[in-house]
Amino acid sequence: MEAHLTGIFPRSDQLVEATRAADRGKATQQDVDNAVHLDVRKLLDLQRTAGLDLLVDGQLNWQDLFRPFSELFFGIHPGRLARWFDNNTFYREPIVTDKVAFRGNGLRRYFQSQLVREQTGLKAILPGPFTFAVMSQNNAYQTLADLVDDLAHATKDTVAKLVSLGYRCVQFNDPQLCYKGSSQDAWVLARNAYDTCAKGAGAVTVLHTYFGDAGPVTGELLNFTVDYIGFDLYSTSLESVAQHDCDKGIGCGCVDGRNSLLESPEDIRSLISRVAEKLNPKDLFLCPNCDLEFLPYTVAEKKLQLLGSAKRLVSQQE
Amino acid sequence: MMGKLFPTQDIGSLPKAPWLLSFLRGKEITSSDFEHLRKWVRVSGFEEESQTLSLLAGPRTAEAKENVRKLASMFSVRFLESTGLDYVYDGEANRIEMYEHPVRNSDGFQFHGNVRSFDNKYYRKAACVGKVGFRKPYHLDEFLTVKQYARKGIKVPVTGPYTIAEWSFNEFYQKRLTPAYTDLRKLKHEAKREFVLDVAKEIIRPNLEALVEEGASWIQFDEPAVTTKPDEVPLFVEAFNESTAGIDCKFSVHICYSDYRVLYPHITDLRNCSQLALEFANRDGKKSLSYDQLDLLNEYDDHREIGLGVVDVHVDDVESPELIRDRILHATKILKDPQRIYVNPDCGLRTRTWDIAHAKLCSLVRGAEMARQLIA
Repeated sequence: MEAHLTGIFPRSDQLVEATRAADRGKATQQDVDNAVHLDVRKLLDLQRTAGLDLLVDGQLNWQDLFRPFSELFFGIHPGRLARWFDNNTFYREPIVTDKVAFRGNGLRRYFQSQLVREQTGLKAILPGPFTFAVMSQNNAYQTLADLVDDLAHATKDTVAKLVSLGYRCVQFNDPQLCYKGSSQDAWVLARNAYDTCAKGAGAVTVLHTYFGDAGPVTGELLNFTVDYIGFDLYSTSLESVAQHDCDKGIGCGCVDGRNSLLESPEDIRSLISRVAEKLNPKDLFLCPNCDLEFLPYTVAEKKLQLLGSAKRLVSQQE
Repeated sequence: MMGKLFPTQDIGSLPKAPWLLSFLRGKEITSSDFEHLRKWVRVSGFEEESQTLSLLAGPRTAEAKENVRKLASMFSVRFLESTGLDYVYDGEANRIEMYEHPVRNSDGFQFHGNVRSFDNKYYRKAACVGKVGFRKPYHLDEFLTVKQYARKGIKVPVTGPYTIAEWSFNEFYQKRLTPAYTDLRKLKHEAKREFVLDVAKEIIRPNLEALVEEGASWIQFDEPAVTTKPDEVPLFVEAFNESTAGIDCKFSVHICYSDYRVLYPHITDLRNCSQLALEFANRDGKKSLSYDQLDLLNEYDDHREIGLGVVDVHVDDVESPELIRDRILHATKILKDPQRIYVNPDCGLRTRTWDIAHAKLCSLVRGAEMARQLIA
């Protein structure tokens, strides 16, 4: 049984202050980068101490899930602020102005693999191509399908580069898939996108869904060409998950990134048992349901530690 | 005021007076702080300049701070009145911010730290860690000051129960219900419901009662969070009704930056709400007149007043009176009843400078007058 984080981690007070100082012209970009590196190192230590398996860098210099791709991809620019699903948090809507493609460089600025000693235990997190397309303002493509397809190819090229940098696992965060239900056509183009970006990736692949009820669409999700499907167990009604014999692993989003209430490891153990009963998966890993950036830093630290405790408790039972 | 077409109103916040902030924070009162005070005294006719200057020059005792706070309220009242608005308040001069003020003055909350809003911007977010409760009528002092001083009509803005709960973590109610639920989605939903309704009953309602007891005749619920989770709009309605039932006062609701379609049909069940004050100018652009969602009121046979947002509070460009006039006339065409239209900024003006806020409000008042002359 493994456990790892799923997304953007909150910034420490020191890093927040560095970014504010830079915004006021009282600190340089180098000062901010130094503060980011300090935060990444601290987060890596926290994950090691908690006993997490795949380490993430916390995406601490990502302004939102899409922003780095304004630099990493051709054809994308950051636009207006828009609400991030049903949160009191906002992202800049990517504006697609031209054909999208991976530029081929610049990854090291946003994927801090150079700071990680363990070369075998790294997980990279990318926006899923479906969510990326739907949450963008498309000014360049005739159809959503065309945009999703090019985003999938750009993502595939990004994944290849990440694998060459030593990432063992690549996770695609695709909350839009389950947020309000998707049409049959949408499922087809999303599935095709994963055939492009995840099949033969040379790394373990995870499609993580959150903020929506994945229960009614579990069957659809299990058809995607990835190794694991991640479920937000605080948004998914387990009662609505049909009984499956699942040939994939399941990521159990069992620590709530949107509430400061600390779960008990025992409650998590019982939740995991219910998931295992319903889906009979090939494998399971524990994770937060979503990014922990919706929490204050000190609470996120506690949730991270809790994830490690829950993993040990669940592993004892196995 | 009875019968006046297109009455003008403020929505709530203004920037904090720089001399107030310097005084409360223990900083030197600078020449620019004094200049700010003098400038707006000249414009607004604020009568308490010498008392304010004397206090600013004196020791910063608790009593002096309280008196300066009170003067800042009065200063904002005159500032708003000098623009010609028909309904004013005090620019929320003594509220930390619309969320923190009620939460810090109520029981059951604890601040855990900052959470990102966007980019490098953060806000302080509290958790509900115990049953929420009324500690004191946290708007009463400011209301009594405004009531004593204002020459125009008074509308008291209060942060609504749904927004307070939606912007907080819900620890207490979720923990309390955890043993009863195995389905976490249902658990969160039911815990949220208990939280929102307790904020309505235990915090908002006693505050409203205290205000009305002292003579408040119009209270505006600020509910910017209400469309964040569209499936919870009925919960907002339930909380509003719970807060206001049986209280003899005019109530209105302010909502902004939302797709108003998700409000309907649920908000037709708001029982004690005379007016919806909505943002529109921000989505309108300079030329197009896309106040189309007003048509929802026709579609759902909703005959309430509308508080029409006619100036954008997020840009410094000051809308011309002619543009404001045209927006009002356009809304009149859609609603087919000018008597139901009040005119206001999209939202509070706290992110603008005093100069821009004043210019926008003066333009709003002139635009309303121009529209009035054409319709009357």
